[in-house]
Amino acid sequence: MSHWMHNCKEVTRMVSESLDRKLPLHQRMGIRVHLFMCKFCSRYRKQLLLLREAMRLKERCVEDKGSPITLSPEARERIKRSFINSLNKA
Amino acid sequence: MNETITTENSHVPDPERWVDQYGDYLFRFALSRLPDSAVAEDLVQETFLAALHARENFKGRSSVTTWLTGILKHKIIDHFRKESREQPVEDVESFAASLDDLFDEKGKWKIGPSKWTVSPLELYEQKEFWRILALCLSELSDRLARIFTLRELEELSTKEICKVFDISATNCWVMLYRARMLLRGCLEIKWFSPKIYEDK
Repeated sequence: MSHWMHNCKEVTRMVSESLDRKLPLHQRMGIRVHLFMCKFCSRYRKQLLLLREAMRLKERCVEDKGSPITLSPEARERIKRSFINSLNKA
Repeated sequence: MNETITTENSHVPDPERWVDQYGDYLFRFALSRLPDSAVAEDLVQETFLAALHARENFKGRSSVTTWLTGILKHKIIDHFRKESREQPVEDVESFAASLDDLFDEKGKWKIGPSKWTVSPLELYEQKEFWRILALCLSELSDRLARIFTLRELEELSTKEICKVFDISATNCWVMLYRARMLLRGCLEIKWFSPKIYEDK
């Protein structure tokens, strides 16, 4: 079952690149034809898009109030001290 | 720890209290971008100092958190830039070889990707998913993980990423491709396949 011009290895690279720049028309067409016939590469593309969308949601909501990850008391003290030093110098 | 952030109005609050108010948040933010507590602490410290000196520039058009986070983002990217000068450049050939494990000689998938039936929002809400993603990212080289994070989380253009790491655009696309291939493979094994067996 040949997939017209491109094989999966090439298409996965082009699909990834299409997330980073606008590909030339012939490549976009090549991807479309291949994806139409190839279940695996379609899934691959959906996976990348899912990952991207989930990460963009994450970037918008980093704030996890009540998260157990906090500055250690030592780090907090050190930062405060450097802060106060710098403030006194200013 | 006191987690409540007092009202952020147009004036900048007492700098000495910033550490208590915003320190943990900034620390978490830094850690989500680079999993190294010592470096994250340093960057938080630098952020506060930079903010202190730039205090007059803060116009109160955004919240203090947003303002500090903006400074921290720059600090993180600066850190990547400095660090990348000392890092070895990726071995592109070994990637070509690892691709051969995924595709047969005709360029077809040896093991095709499975169907991930989850919405971005559902994925976002799964704490366990982010833990595994961090684990998968940690299996990449530092440079690869950073390029991927800047691209997908920070939404930097490849042009901006090229500048930070001093690489060509082509190299950048190849690295992103590599990162995505490795990550999706890792996620499929560590996150999605166990799910398929657990749920129905």
